[in-house]
Amino acid sequence: MKTIIKASGMKKSYKMSKTNIVKALDGVNLEIKEGDFSAIVGPSGCGKSTLMHILGLLDRPDEGRLVIDGVDVSNLKDKVANKIRAKKIGFIFQGFNLIPSLTAIENVVLAGKYGGMKPKARKARATLLLELVGLKDRVNHKPNELSGGQQQRVAIARALMNNPTVILADEPTGELDSKTSLEIINILKKLNRENNQTFLIVTHNNEVADACKKKIRLKDGKNA
Amino acid sequence: MIEILRNMWRRKFRTFLTVVGISVGIFAFTVMGSMALKLNKMIDGGKKYITGQISIMPKGTDFASGQTGGMLPIDTLNNIAKVPGVEAVEGSVGVSVDEPNPDEPVSVSMSTPATIYSLDTNSNFKNKNWETLAMKEGKLIDKDSADNDISIGSTVALDKKWKVGDKVTIRGREFKIVGILDKTMTGPDSYVFMKLPIVREMYIDSNPFLKSLRDRAAEASNISDKELAKLSPEARSQIMQAKTFKVEDVSTSAAVSWKDSVDPEQVVTRIKDQFKNEVVVLSPKKMGEQIDKASATMNAIIYGAAMLALIVGVFSITNTMVMSISERTKEIGIKKAIGASGRSISFEYTLEAGVISLIGGLIGMGIGTVAIVIINSKMASKGAEIFLLDANFLIGVVVFSFVIGIIAGIIPAARAAKMKVVDAIREL
Repeated sequence: MKTIIKASGMKKSYKMSKTNIVKALDGVNLEIKEGDFSAIVGPSGCGKSTLMHILGLLDRPDEGRLVIDGVDVSNLKDKVANKIRAKKIGFIFQGFNLIPSLTAIENVVLAGKYGGMKPKARKARATLLLELVGLKDRVNHKPNELSGGQQQRVAIARALMNNPTVILADEPTGELDSKTSLEIINILKKLNRENNQTFLIVTHNNEVADACKKKIRLKDGKNA
Repeated sequence: MIEILRNMWRRKFRTFLTVVGISVGIFAFTVMGSMALKLNKMIDGGKKYITGQISIMPKGTDFASGQTGGMLPIDTLNNIAKVPGVEAVEGSVGVSVDEPNPDEPVSVSMSTPATIYSLDTNSNFKNKNWETLAMKEGKLIDKDSADNDISIGSTVALDKKWKVGDKVTIRGREFKIVGILDKTMTGPDSYVFMKLPIVREMYIDSNPFLKSLRDRAAEASNISDKELAKLSPEARSQIMQAKTFKVEDVSTSAAVSWKDSVDPEQVVTRIKDQFKNEVVVLSPKKMGEQIDKASATMNAIIYGAAMLALIVGVFSITNTMVMSISERTKEIGIKKAIGASGRSISFEYTLEAGVISLIGGLIGMGIGTVAIVIINSKMASKGAEIFLLDANFLIGVVVFSFVIGIIAGIIPAARAAKMKVVDAIREL
């Protein structure tokens, strides 16, 4: 199977003050293949979110090599990194993070706009995706008119908008109750099963971790 | 665009205050700008007229107070006509339509007071830039007109409610209106054109010294030299003055036209060289330059005042955008995370600033236009509108408001664009 993400020797430090430097990642290696449904697990502060940010091209490592879908993105310029992120990577956040002034469909369409889709195509695909996640009747509702679970489903639709190579989900069930959490995970599993969509999920929830086929454990910024 | 309008609506009060700030600035710009347009049009008309002739004044004329230094004798004017390059010379006299009111020696008005202006219908003088005066109704007096025929400017007609065919009394004499001029936006709007000899008589009648000279001229011409010699020096001097007095010598200014293909400045130099002790010569080029300078100063003051109000508005937009972006850091982070480039973030926020400013501009321009229409309609009855409404200017004002909004939004938008995604994400 094709390798979607290959990270080698990822290192990242944060300078908190002149003398206090925190090593968030200290030589992490990771490989994600197409169709994987993997979890990154570990105690709080082990570097999960930092790794997720780097894999999602939201941050740069201090050292290490990162290849996404065959492209070495280690030293890419921001402009090019933006384009790759828009087209190849989908994000699902813990707090849903929808644009409050936009409706469900407008939130999903926005991702298509940044991914370079034409307006008609954006609307058609957004409608399809919202139907796929069971929100056909809520397309014109704003986030404050949707429940937490519904908002996360909109976020899932948004993440799928540009047919990404991989979807990175950072604690996708962190703000949901157990029943809704299960619904969301089931949606993700269904997408993985039926569409072979690759998922990498950061979680400290054992149930969510157990639902994943592969677990990548981190401890103190290193592979455990 | 929908998102922009919704974001503005979400923070209604702040948007309202910002829009008001811009509206006030644009209102001031619209009103002051329209006033400047009107003044510039009047000045342009005046400049066109004054640069189309060489103007001659008696030596000693005080331009600051407008007091003439004396008269321009007919002999002097005839001699000026012989200067090489001169095509024609026309003497002229001006006197106010209404006799001065001793109870109101000073009055303040935005419009030029109605003035009787002489036309020498026997002269072939023509202003190079203004050969004919367009008529709204009737005709301009000419050499075939009766002595009591007059043509009046559009402002005079409106103010005094005079029509063609009316018989009117001016300074105790009856006249008939044979024509009303088209609006010129400058001096002639306030003129009553009469034949030169009639205006001269009116001028003399209004000046006690000249009146006494004229009244005594016939009597003085009958006094022999022998009888003259018997008089006291003072009395003799007075009689001599009366003897030599000619009505044709009463010209308070004159206009000189030059032959085609002749440089008017050379003609100016020649007249100055020959008659420097008798007349003041106003060069068309120098007059044009003086007018341009004065116009530039006036425009700078008018537009400068409006720009000050606008600058305050611009800062208010910048402040609003800075606050807005700082509150929407999370939103910027989300957008960048889902693929927005720095350029598209910068574009969105710059456009938002432009839209806020455009809305303020439309409101300010709208209110300004209404105010102008109301004020002008109240002044129209006197033909003394103080604003000029120009569609191109108004469109330009609105476009300008959008542009300054864009400019005001550039720095905050650039800050938003440069925001590191991971820093913005951490706020999520």
